[in-house]
Amino acid sequence: MPHQCTNCGRTFADGSKEMLSGCPDCGGNKFQFAPAAADSSAPTGAETDGSGTVDAGSTPDSSDTESPDGVATRAAETVRDLMSAGSADDVASDGADRRQPVDTEPTADAGSTADAGSTADAGSTADAGSWPASGAADTTDSNPPTEPDDGPAGEFDEWPETARRPADRSDPPADRAVDDTERPDRSTDDSSRPTEGPTTTYADDENTAQADARSEVVPADELPAHEDGDPRPETETGDESPSSADSTGESRPVTDATDEPPEHGRVVQEPSGQRPSIEELRAELNEQFESIKIVRPGQYELNLMELYNREEYIISLQEDGRYVIDVPDSWRDADDE
Amino acid sequence: MGLFTELKDSISRATDRLFSEQEPKRIGIYGPPNAGKTTLANRIARDWTGDAVGAESHVPHETRRARRKENVEIERDGKTVTIDIVDTPGVTTKVDYEEFTDEMDEDDAIRRSREATEGVAEAMHWLREDVDGVIYVLDSAEDPITQVNTMLIGIIESRDLPVLIFANKIDLDDSSVKRIEDAFPQHKTVPLSAKEGDNMDEVYDNIAEYFG
Repeated sequence: MPHQCTNCGRTFADGSKEMLSGCPDCGGNKFQFAPAAADSSAPTGAETDGSGTVDAGSTPDSSDTESPDGVATRAAETVRDLMSAGSADDVASDGADRRQPVDTEPTADAGSTADAGSTADAGSTADAGSWPASGAADTTDSNPPTEPDDGPAGEFDEWPETARRPADRSDPPADRAVDDTERPDRSTDDSSRPTEGPTTTYADDENTAQADARSEVVPADELPAHEDGDPRPETETGDESPSSADSTGESRPVTDATDEPPEHGRVVQEPSGQRPSIEELRAELNEQFESIKIVRPGQYELNLMELYNREEYIISLQEDGRYVIDVPDSWRDADDE
Repeated sequence: MGLFTELKDSISRATDRLFSEQEPKRIGIYGPPNAGKTTLANRIARDWTGDAVGAESHVPHETRRARRKENVEIERDGKTVTIDIVDTPGVTTKVDYEEFTDEMDEDDAIRRSREATEGVAEAMHWLREDVDGVIYVLDSAEDPITQVNTMLIGIIESRDLPVLIFANKIDLDDSSVKRIEDAFPQHKTVPLSAKEGDNMDEVYDNIAEYFG
């Protein structure tokens, strides 16, 4: 959540264009930038993200039971998990079956068995990380009656209700096993690239086929962006491409996702396939968005073309990464001439 | 709110444009930091209106907000050309406060750097929205081929604005007008020293010719 509205607290993924027309929730145009590394709020450092993804990946497969779709399912699962974390209730309504497995799975993996190596990693990362991992952990704790990993659950108290709820639902043990098996790969991958920011997650992974599939489901992408359970529906989805989804936002895809049927979940998932290099993604994001890069206080890199091309522009950089964007559209519409 | 006043401004600007056909051309003075843009703007303003536009400094990014001097009337050959001069912050792709920590303490340097960055954004926005012609000021004692220069020139060209290139600081020993002419052969290059006031007649001739 590199960008946060200072008015309502809504966060935006790095590279998100949503905020260029003002905060969708409150209309505010003052934001603060918090690099992933520095973010206290988003403890989700690369590791956590990785773990989160991993968990999701593994679990989904098991739940869906379709091996070929594994990737997609995983993604869906992860999304659901996230969603569930955000709004457990929704999940329940949607179809406990699918979602439950997901939620529970991650926890199970970490806590329980098998994949020891991989799972263990996931667990640890999860603890560190704020979101998905935490949610997973909680669920696991609750689900598996006698799981050793109570510790993580405690840590995740922060994520409380939402995270836990999924857990309440009973998950089929079988799912877990499956998840575990798959997991290892993912976990290893993740571990290999600890540096990846939040952005890297799903989108990076997806291949073209997946991307195509995903394109239909645009809303899913949006979901991640709206952590707060946003009211605002469709407007954004179109604009933001996978990139936004990729970004940390995913962690709390939130309510929207829950509302939507499994399909959306799939969409999200797809990305998990293989990830293009972070550099590529970053370059693309830069192209799309970054007109002023705050290297650190007092040091800036400017993209002149972007500054020139975009209608909105930053009119005020403030202390500590806050900035104000001039949003011409917001008033131009009203009084065109 | 600020938004409101901005809105009002923009409306009045739009109506101005609609109703006053002979509104003065708005000439933006662009260039990298420390090329002498403000010195030039001051020179022009003083020569024709008696007022200065802004403070000059040897420390880069002295000008961090675009400043305008309106209704500068320049007489050439009995003709009068009226222009608004917009002195813009130096355009660069990197702003680093450490460049001026020698000149001031760190907090001031960081603030200056931040303001300079905003200034660049503002300058680029002016270029996009509000400028009818561009005076591009380069330090003739420096290598004219840098990323910023070529990029900015490219942007200006893409707008089809009339452009004059001013090779400033010809009073310096390292100055080479030829180097600048060679770098941007597609544009008219005018040598001058804004600080010393050298060759200002040719400067005004060209301004009248290009922007009149």
